Amino acid sequence: MAHADTHAHDDHHEHKPSGIGRWLFATNHKDIGTMYLVFALGMFFLGGAMALLIRLELFKPGMQYFDPQFYNSLVTTHALVMIFGAVMPAFVGLANWMIPMQIGAPDMALPRMNNYSFWILPFAFTLLLSSFATAGGGPAGGWTLYPPLSLQGGTSFPLTIFAIHLMGASSIMGAINVIVTIMNMRAPGMTLLKLPLFCWTWLITAYLLIAVMPVLAGAVTMLLTDHFFGTSFFNPAGGGDPVMFQHIFWFFGHPEVYILILPAFGIVSEIIPTFSRKPLFGYDAMVYATASIAFLSFIVWAHHMFTVGMPLAGQMFFMLSTMLIAVPTGVKVFNWTTTMWRGSLSFEPPMLFALAFLFLFTIGGFSGLMLAIAPADFQYQDTYFVVAHFHYVLVPGAVFAIMAGVYFWLPKWTGHMYDMALAKWHFWLSSISVNVLFFPQHFLGLAGMPRRIPDYNTQFTDWNMVSSVGGLVFGVSQLLFVWVIVKCVSSGERATDKVWSDAMPLGLEWTLPSPAPYHSFEDAPEVK
Amino acid sequence: MPHNGATESHSHVDVATRPLRRIELLANCSLSARDARRLFALCAGSALTVAACCVANGYWPVLPFAGLELVLLGFALAVSLKRRHYVQTVDIGETGITITTRDSHGERATRFSRHWAKVTLRDPRGWQPSRLLIESHGRACEIGAFLTEERRRALGRRLSALVGRGSDLPALEPAGREDSRDCGEQ
Repeated sequence: MAHADTHAHDDHHEHKPSGIGRWLFATNHKDIGTMYLVFALGMFFLGGAMALLIRLELFKPGMQYFDPQFYNSLVTTHALVMIFGAVMPAFVGLANWMIPMQIGAPDMALPRMNNYSFWILPFAFTLLLSSFATAGGGPAGGWTLYPPLSLQGGTSFPLTIFAIHLMGASSIMGAINVIVTIMNMRAPGMTLLKLPLFCWTWLITAYLLIAVMPVLAGAVTMLLTDHFFGTSFFNPAGGGDPVMFQHIFWFFGHPEVYILILPAFGIVSEIIPTFSRKPLFGYDAMVYATASIAFLSFIVWAHHMFTVGMPLAGQMFFMLSTMLIAVPTGVKVFNWTTTMWRGSLSFEPPMLFALAFLFLFTIGGFSGLMLAIAPADFQYQDTYFVVAHFHYVLVPGAVFAIMAGVYFWLPKWTGHMYDMALAKWHFWLSSISVNVLFFPQHFLGLAGMPRRIPDYNTQFTDWNMVSSVGGLVFGVSQLLFVWVIVKCVSSGERATDKVWSDAMPLGLEWTLPSPAPYHSFEDAPEVK
Repeated sequence: MPHNGATESHSHVDVATRPLRRIELLANCSLSARDARRLFALCAGSALTVAACCVANGYWPVLPFAGLELVLLGFALAVSLKRRHYVQTVDIGETGITITTRDSHGERATRFSRHWAKVTLRDPRGWQPSRLLIESHGRACEIGAFLTEERRRALGRRLSALVGRGSDLPALEPAGREDSRDCGEQ
């Protein structure tokens, strides 16, 4: 007797695992992407709550609510949570969702490793945040972990080091998955110079991660052995050099800045052409500019430490190499602007966030150029000007690009349109308040207010108050973001397959139905 | 892959009856082995150059981390590249079914009587994806292990229709070859 014994439920087009197992054992790129994005959103609010506590303490001079040790812990963990818990996982989440869809693959190349790389993160952050409950409180030496200060951290010190190791392992696995997926799973006809720019920027980001993550892992391991095993890598008493830690850390740290911003460039490069109804101006130049930025990021690290006392030749080299980064970055800004030139623009929420990114990231870039000038940097070093600079790069830069990406692709993910009016409210409130929050910090820095200080001179009061009010409005307006997403998922109107059909969305993801099927492309599409 | 003592041969298939339908399963791989080596060399060159500079200055703990990372990258590339060698052909004739599997270990063929064969799709369990099998007399051969769930289920339905049920064998018209190109899962 012969018979066909395929199960009854085989007729279901989509076979999704259900219950908690769907998430614990997830190997589907969309499920893992969703978990990354939800995790990143949670961490964004946690880090944001820490930022609000910092701004609360700085609302007026004098010690208000916290002791200096706890304040320093807040500053340190705010940075670690936002960088490794919010921005990086959000980009990995977007990569998980979009890369297979954009290259015509059914999933990521290594789905189980994808699962491991996500599930490491909750453990890493539990470890980091649990240090607040230990004797001596959380890590308080700053996210840069400079010795000898970081070595005085008590019980929180090894917990922080192990947490950073886990975050690094997660990042490495994510990066390897992205590289293998993009290189080996492209649809027939999808040559490298036909890759969507989001994939290109992620490919280069993954390469940067592979190049620099061992440096971070090695650096924090040496801190650990200096503290517990009597080595003297950074201890002058044993012949070590604490300044070398700064060199090693920033050799990782500066490429890390580009790890946080290159995928943002990719997202904006997808959105601006769509809502300009024109192809991206200078695609090849954008790819080469991204690669140039990545290369230059390896040779500029010491601009973070001009004041440690390096030779004049060293200062000149790092000053000029840093300024050189403005050239490929300028190419990008020029190309985005030229893409819009004589385009038929419309201003949906993704485009609004992309435009805000363009303006405000450029402000962050310009203040970066000011900081690159070594003699001027002697004045700016360790002031609020630096805080204003990197927050302009990371918040209206990286975070706005993530929000733009979410608003751009959310209908494709969920199959529902979101409330445009609420999303525009979210945009305007965020854009205005982010400037109220961070722009006054330029003035405070130029006037000499030091960073990482819980108390300050009364002359800085007014701008600190303005900044704190801006912080509160920015924080509260992010609740609107959550509401827009929840409302979209639960009760939004049905989205069409093309989603932005009156604009010009290019790319394979728009050929899929909305919501995208569980596995993106059952058959590899042919790319012409 | 053959299971439970399935017949195997290492030569080209001698189909008992002329195949009337052929389904060929291919994995989609955009990276050649040569390009994979170049990619690995690029990543290894950067990571090891940086690590070597650190070692030269006495900061040797960077090196083992770079090494570990490159081992993982090499493993990931190797696993992903294995798919390019994987081709599975299902030949369905009037009385027989022959499944030929070609991978990096060579070529194997498994034959079943069409009258006795049955197509089974086993549900996924935990980490394990579903398994599509052709079985008969305690022997089984897995088909399309690298396909996605949906693709595997669609293939299961297609094979069920072609293989038929015992006394109700559908007539097969010669219809050439069906290709199924997919990027499979690990």
